[in-house]
Amino acid sequence: MDSFATALSILYQFGTNGAFLLLSALGLIVILGMMNIINLAHGELMMLGAYSATTAVQHGLPFPVAVLVAFVVVGVFGAVLERLVVRRFYGRELGALVVTWGISLILSQGSLLLFGPFMPSIQIPGGFLRAGPYSFSVYWLSLIAVCVVVIVALWWLYNRTTFGLQARATMQNAAMARALGVDTGRIYMLTFSLGAGLAGFSGALLAPTTSIMPFMGQQFVAPAFITVVVGGAANVIAGAVGSSVLLSLVRTPIGFLFGSFLGLVALLLAALIIIRLMPDGISAWLQKRLDNRARTRA
Amino acid sequence: MTDEFPKSRTCPQSGSEEDRSLKPDRRTVVKGAAAASIALPTYLRDFNFMQSAKAQGTGPVKLGFIEDESGNLAVYGLQKLHAAQLAVKEINEGKTLKGAPNIGAGILGAMGQVASKPPVISKEGTALDTVDDGGAKDRTDLVYEEDGEILIDSGEKGVLGRELQLVSSDGQSNNSVWQQLARRMIQEDKVDVLVAGFASAEREAIRPIVDQFKQLYFYTNQYEGGVADANTFCTGPVCEQQVIPTVQYMVEKFGPRAYTIAADYNFGQLTAAWTRAYIPLVGGQIIGEEFIPLSVSEFSQVIARIQQANPDWVMTLLVGQNHHNYYPQAAAAGLRLPMASTVNMAQGYEHKRFKPPSLANMHNAIQYQLEVPTARNRAFVKRWMQMFPDDQYIGEMAQNTYFTIHLYAKAARLAGTTDQPTVKKCLELGWNIEAPEGSVFLEPGTHHCAHPIRLAVADENHNVKFVRDWPMIQAWWLQRLGVNLVRNPEYKQYTPDEDPYFAMFGKKT
Repeated sequence: MDSFATALSILYQFGTNGAFLLLSALGLIVILGMMNIINLAHGELMMLGAYSATTAVQHGLPFPVAVLVAFVVVGVFGAVLERLVVRRFYGRELGALVVTWGISLILSQGSLLLFGPFMPSIQIPGGFLRAGPYSFSVYWLSLIAVCVVVIVALWWLYNRTTFGLQARATMQNAAMARALGVDTGRIYMLTFSLGAGLAGFSGALLAPTTSIMPFMGQQFVAPAFITVVVGGAANVIAGAVGSSVLLSLVRTPIGFLFGSFLGLVALLLAALIIIRLMPDGISAWLQKRLDNRARTRA
Repeated sequence: MTDEFPKSRTCPQSGSEEDRSLKPDRRTVVKGAAAASIALPTYLRDFNFMQSAKAQGTGPVKLGFIEDESGNLAVYGLQKLHAAQLAVKEINEGKTLKGAPNIGAGILGAMGQVASKPPVISKEGTALDTVDDGGAKDRTDLVYEEDGEILIDSGEKGVLGRELQLVSSDGQSNNSVWQQLARRMIQEDKVDVLVAGFASAEREAIRPIVDQFKQLYFYTNQYEGGVADANTFCTGPVCEQQVIPTVQYMVEKFGPRAYTIAADYNFGQLTAAWTRAYIPLVGGQIIGEEFIPLSVSEFSQVIARIQQANPDWVMTLLVGQNHHNYYPQAAAAGLRLPMASTVNMAQGYEHKRFKPPSLANMHNAIQYQLEVPTARNRAFVKRWMQMFPDDQYIGEMAQNTYFTIHLYAKAARLAGTTDQPTVKKCLELGWNIEAPEGSVFLEPGTHHCAHPIRLAVADENHNVKFVRDWPMIQAWWLQRLGVNLVRNPEYKQYTPDEDPYFAMFGKKT
C-alpha cells in the first residue's frame, strides 16, 4: 500500500513539476515560439495577470472568473503594447529583446510605485486528497488538468481554424501571406495579444501559490525560456509539452531523493545537455526522426 | 547626563477595573531595576568626555539606515523603516526610553496571583484584544515585574541639542545594492551611526565595509549568532536564546523526530546547524534536513519529502516572501504537522497574511511580536498605529530597530559626543534599556543582548498564546567561546562547528 502511495506521490510531483514548467511557458510558447520575439517582459505579463486576478478576487469575484478577467485584461494590454511598441521591432530580434526588457522594468517598477511592494495573497482553492502518508492538493491536480485542456485548445486553434492557418502562414512567410490576402498586421497583433493573455492567465492560476509582488514574474522567466528553447521551434506546442515532460522526468526523482535544490540543478543540467545534443530543440529532433522514418518507408 | 534612571520601586499602576482586566495576569506591573549609584569603570577613566564633546560636529546627527523596502524581503524592511521613523520622531520630540548603563541583566520577581492558563491573544492583533486572559487568578505564583510606561522625557529635543536625521535607503533585497549603499552612507553621507541589515547575507556583505571604516554599526535582527565584531552591536536575539527553548519544548511536547527546512544561506544553514547540534542534548534527532534557495516558491516536492519522512514536528526556517508560500501550500496539501521556528510568524506575520490553518500549531520562542500582552507593549502599539494607521503588523525586528535607535541616542547623550569611538566605549559600559518587549541588557563583552523570551504558539484560528516565559535569557554562547571584544577586538563570525562542547556532548547514539 505504501509503495503504491509513494508511486502516486511521485506521479503527483511529476505532474506538478511539469505543470509548473508548462504554465510558466504558456504565453512564451506563442510569443517566442511562434513570433520569434525574445520577450523579456514575459514575467511581468504574468505578474500583471496575478495582480488582475488578485484585485478581482478582492472585489468579490469568484476565482475562476478572476482568472478569465486576468486573461482578458492582459490580452488587451498585450494588444496595445503590440500596436504601440512591439510591432516596430519585427525581424529585429535584438531590438525586440532590449525593448521588451525596458517594458519589463517599467512594468515592475511601475507596479511597485502604484501598488507597493506586495499585495495580500489569494487563498489556495480546494482541499486535499490523502493516500497513505501522502496527500495531494486538489488545486495542483486541477492545474495539471487545466494545462492539458489549454494545450489541446492551443493545438486546435493553430491546426484546425482559419486563424491558425493564417497565423502559421504569416509566421512562415509574411510577404507571401500578405500577397494571398491575409491581414498580417492584424494576425501579429492577435497573436501577441493571445500570448500576453495566456501569460496573464497562467500568472493568475499560479497567483494563489505564490507571493503577489512587483518582481514576482522573475521566478517564471528562466523556467519559461528553458521550456520553450528546449522544446524548439519546429513544432512549438509539441516541443513545449515534450520538454516539460522530459525536464520534469529528470527533476522529480532527483528532487524527491536529494531535495529541491539538487532537483533544480538536475533540471538545468538536463536542459544544457539536451540543447547540446539537439541544438534546435526536442521538436526539431522529433521532426527529423519522423521525416527519416517516412523517407526510409518510401 | 539628561536621562532619568528608573526610579526605584514605585507602586503598581492601579488602573480602573477595566484596565485591570486588560492586564496580563502573569505580570503585575511594578518598576523594576533598582538602580543604585554607578561608578565609572576603570577603563573609562581614560576618556575625557568633555574634550570629545568639543570635537563633535554641528548640524544634524546622521543616522544611516538601510532596509529592504522592495523585493523578496520588503515584508520585513517596511516594518523596520517605520520603526526607525517612529524612534527618530520620538527622539526629536524630546522623548527617550527608560534605561541606564551598568545595571546588568536581571529582573525583579514577586509573589502574585496568577491564572493557571496562559493568555490567548486574538488575531485581531492590532487592537490587542485579549480574548481569553487565562481565566480567574486562582493561584499564587512567582511573577516578574515590569514598568507599564517606558517612554519618558529626555530633557532635550534630538541628540546633544542637534536634530537626529534619518538617512535611509532601499536595499532592494539585493546584496550588492547593500554594499553600494553602505559605502555611500559611510564615505559620502558620513553617518554618525549605521543601523542596517535584515538577512545575514546582507550583514556579511556590508560588515567588511563597516570594519574598513570602523563605522559604529547596529545589526538589529534576530539571527544565527556568532558575530564577534568590535564595530558591530547585535541587538536581536540569537540561536542560544531561541533555538534551545523552542527545541526543548517541541521534543518534550511532540516527540524526538524533527525535520528541518531552512533557507539556503548563512542564516538558514547555521540555525539548522544549531538545531542539529543541540537536539541530541534533549534526546531528539534530526531525521531530515533540506535547504531551499531563496528564489523557490513552489513546495510540492518539499511537502512530499516531509510526508515520506513522517517526522513528529517540522523546524521551518523560511525567509522571504517566496518561502512564505510554503505555509498555505502545505496546508492546502494536507500537511498538518506541529511546526517550530525562530523567524516565522514573529517577523513576516504569516499568521495574518495567510488564512487559517496555514500557521496552525506554529511555535516560536521570540522576544517580541505584536501580541506580547503587556501594558508597555499596548502603549507602544498605540503610538505606532497613530503614526502608521495602515500598518498590518509590528514584528520582532521592527521592535528591535525601535529600541536600538533609542539606545544609540542615550549612549551618545551620556558620551556627550557623536564621536564614534567614544560612543562605542560608552555602549560598552553595558546598558539596560526598557523596550516594548521588556528589559533588554546589552552585554559589553560580546556586543549582544540579553532578552526576555516568550514561547508563542498559533492555534487553529491563528490566535496567539504564550505558553512559556523566560524573564531573561543571556546571549551566552560567545562568552563560552571566550569572546571579549572590550579586551580583544575581533572581526569574525563563529559557527557551532567551532564549539568543542557540541561535538563532545552532542554525539548521536
